[in-house]
Amino acid sequence: MSLPSTAAPPGRRLFTARRLPALLMILIVGILVVAPLLRIVLATLTPGGLEAWQAVLASPMSPNLWWRPLLNTLILGIGVSAGCLLLGGFTAWLVVMTDVPGRRLLGVMHTLPFMIPSFAAALAWGTLFRNSRMGGSSGFFESNGFLIPDWLAWGIVPVLIVLIAHYYSLAFTIIGAALSSVGADLVEAAQMTGARRPRIFFGIVLPVVTPALVSAGSLTLAGAVANFAAPALLGLPVRMQTLSTRLFGMIEIGQAERGFVLALLLIAVSGVFLFLSDRLVSGRRAFVTVTGKGGRTRRFPLGKWRWPLCALGFGLAGLTTVVPVLVLVASSLAPQTGALFSNWTLHFWLGEGGGQIAQGTAGIFRNPVLIGALVNTLKLGVTVALISMVLGLALAHTITRNKGTVLANVLSQLAFLPLLIPSIAFAAAYIALFGAPLGPLPSLYGTFTLLVMAAAAHNLPYAVQAGRSVLGQIATDLEESARLTGAGPLRRMWAIVFPLAIRGLLAGAILVFVKMVRDLSLVVLLFSATSPVLSMVAYRYAAEGFMQFANAITVLILVICLAASLIAQALQARVQKWKE
Amino acid sequence: MASAPTEAKDAIRITHLVKRFGDFTAIPDLSLSVPPGAFLVLVGPSGCGKSTLLRMLAGLDDPSGGEIAFMGQTVSSGAGGVVADPKKRNAGLVFQSYALWPHMTVAGNIGWPLKVAGWDRQAREARIDEVLGLLGIAALRDRYPAEISGGQQQRVAIARTLAPKPAILLFDEPLSNLDAKLRIEMRSELMRIHRATGATSVYVTHDQVEAMTMASHVAVMNHGRVEQFGPPRELLARPATTFVATFLGTPPGNLLPAQRRGDWLEHAGVALAPAALAQGRDAVQLFYRAEQIGIGPAAGRPVLKAEFSESAPMAGKVMVTATAGAAGDALRLSAIVDDFPDARPGDAIDLTLSGAPDAVFAMTGERIE
Ligand SMILES: Nc1ncnc2c1ncn2[C@@H]1O[C@H](COP(=O)(O)OP(=O)(O)OP(=O)(O)O)[C@@H](O)[C@H]1O
Ligand SMILES: [Mg+2]
Repeated sequence: MSLPSTAAPPGRRLFTARRLPALLMILIVGILVVAPLLRIVLATLTPGGLEAWQAVLASPMSPNLWWRPLLNTLILGIGVSAGCLLLGGFTAWLVVMTDVPGRRLLGVMHTLPFMIPSFAAALAWGTLFRNSRMGGSSGFFESNGFLIPDWLAWGIVPVLIVLIAHYYSLAFTIIGAALSSVGADLVEAAQMTGARRPRIFFGIVLPVVTPALVSAGSLTLAGAVANFAAPALLGLPVRMQTLSTRLFGMIEIGQAERGFVLALLLIAVSGVFLFLSDRLVSGRRAFVTVTGKGGRTRRFPLGKWRWPLCALGFGLAGLTTVVPVLVLVASSLAPQTGALFSNWTLHFWLGEGGGQIAQGTAGIFRNPVLIGALVNTLKLGVTVALISMVLGLALAHTITRNKGTVLANVLSQLAFLPLLIPSIAFAAAYIALFGAPLGPLPSLYGTFTLLVMAAAAHNLPYAVQAGRSVLGQIATDLEESARLTGAGPLRRMWAIVFPLAIRGLLAGAILVFVKMVRDLSLVVLLFSATSPVLSMVAYRYAAEGFMQFANAITVLILVICLAASLIAQALQARVQKWKE
Repeated sequence: MASAPTEAKDAIRITHLVKRFGDFTAIPDLSLSVPPGAFLVLVGPSGCGKSTLLRMLAGLDDPSGGEIAFMGQTVSSGAGGVVADPKKRNAGLVFQSYALWPHMTVAGNIGWPLKVAGWDRQAREARIDEVLGLLGIAALRDRYPAEISGGQQQRVAIARTLAPKPAILLFDEPLSNLDAKLRIEMRSELMRIHRATGATSVYVTHDQVEAMTMASHVAVMNHGRVEQFGPPRELLARPATTFVATFLGTPPGNLLPAQRRGDWLEHAGVALAPAALAQGRDAVQLFYRAEQIGIGPAAGRPVLKAEFSESAPMAGKVMVTATAGAAGDALRLSAIVDDFPDARPGDAIDLTLSGAPDAVFAMTGERIE
């Protein structure tokens, strides 16, 4: 990473002792974020790489390698984004702008689907809708005599549905926040002009929330484009490829350069949309609502639609949260997918091997591979969380210390770069850099170290954000007030800074931990067969048709995430109480 | 408005208006009327129902009972449910929060209501320029609300309301978000605009100085009732209740509870006024204006022992505040004197009352003399 020549006018001053930590941070971020990305670009510029470009983009294979996956990816991206805007917009409107009964609960429930990893939803879908075409056991509906057509069991339609069910709650959150900032006064001012409801909606409400719509649309689109789990579980069996599954496949079969080319193309595709949406909402029209009071929102009376719409809202929330979790739990307890709610047994959890069920495979808690995976998962989660938070804090500190300098700007830009890179492409970049021996370094491919590095780097944006808010908290009046009481610096550190910081840091660490525990798209490329993690084992079981085991492991992942989130919330609540 | 206003027609007539929110009655029974061109100010403490009344005038809320008529036409009725929508009311509302639409430029904000009302493009542009000129913000035409200051936003909000030429202008604490200097400036601006447009205006505030300087009519509200309604000078001169007496005026007047002892009305053992003023009651409240209270004993005048608390300059004179009575239910008294008293907070001082009480109120609050 070379700095622009304008970095510090007198060149020597760059290397003073004060700048040293900053330069060190740049070096670390450079290795973690920039080097892999540079390397993956360079890897595709070698003779072999150029050949790969040609194979992917302009060869008889390119429809299979690039155009069809691209088409599927775009259909998914645009379809999911449209679906999320519709569902998220509708639910946000219902919760924020109307007098629908049970608004509070609805509001909470519609934020939950995003917490459930998309592979859980995909597995639940499979459990219900699988048909016998792919061999293996068929799903709940077909076992009970309903014919499930292929298009509903596999391929683009179920992937679309699963991803919309997963991502719409992101749209809900963003649009809901925007709608609640449309104060009652804005609407009433329009009512005073005599405008009718549709005109107010299209003339005032909609334009005011447009920036939120654009960012909700682009974020869900980027998410769908980058998603690996849903197309892999529901699409791959019928050879429906997206860019991310294609890239995974290429690296799996050893065509690394083609994989790298696809990774770059995937980054470009998602980047183009993020860039376009950013263009759309920036500039003078990137307004914030300027109303002084806000808060009070005008609720439209729904009249006779109150109860039907209430039922619709709860039905939707139930289908996207309660049903998938219930299906996964039931399936992990029921010997037959056709009878999800009878003959429950703990066999898939605790059973000894060698019996009738599950082809003699032991329950997950008796399976050494699984216990190993559980340990690995927790180890990975904790290690990544700790490393990310230390890095995040150090980065945030360096950035605030050097505020306004080019160094700080470069650092914060670099630290947020991973946010724009789909995680599977990021993993590919790591393989490009560390997959082969690098000078004196041995190849790190398949090692725990590589996974930790990639994960820490990919979580850097969140970690820096958490670090910043922790530092911000400390810096404000709290420390000042302690100083005024005459406490010495050490005492201050111990009594004020440490307790505040530790809670904020823990909350941030738990967020990273949860993201790691349920991650599939990063680990799927970087994991090692000898020490897998839970999500990976679940994925493999599902791919081999052992739905109950896959579901049981997924339930385990959900439980871990839930427990961690509860801890985080308790911490947050304590911090809040403390601040009052 | 469709019908030609005759002399007898009030611009706004409110009769037995009631507003309930569930079990809570915000306005129990309210009647008043003002002639065309009036500037009616609603004052009262927070929560007394000013905004509620204004919103019913604007047509944003329906009354639970009673009637509102503009220029003789019923626009809201609690009984019949006759509610003319905002368009038919020909009224405009200026919000405390400005409520500018953030996605439109200043010109867009002003033009949108005209567009809704069906003005053609040329007329719209001309009117936009006209109101921009009226408020002196022509230079801001193409800015977005986020790009102008609070005071400018307020002007735009007023311009937007004025543009469709409403017959009735409603303001809900329009100046409360502005700093003191800007507030005074906008106050005279608003009065200039009122003169220029001649629109009947209803103006909500809890700043009584605003009320006194701007109003042609003032309605002092308390607990959803109109305590007194009339021209500002009359309210100052003859407050009808203790609430009005202590709410209006700077500094506020002083109320001294007094008991009848023989031929005199006494406060804290000091005889203040002849018992005849009480008209047979045993206990009354005597109202003295700040100008009637002096410092230091004077021959033949009643003297109250008090404790000095503070003094502040006021229009060339000095306003002195002191407390009288026991710590628990101490009485705050304000006096206007010529010079700063030679006292420090906590010092004992003598307050002298001159002249007869300006008014006498029953213990229940209504005026008897
Ligand atoms: N939508 C509502 N539901 C229930 N009670 C309400 C509602 N709106 C107002 N109130 C109540 O009616 C009373 C009058 O409220 P209003 O807003 O008119 O007061 P205000 O005089 O404008 O006060 P302020 O000077 O603080 O603006 C208050 O007690 C308030 O709590
Ligand atoms: Mg109010």
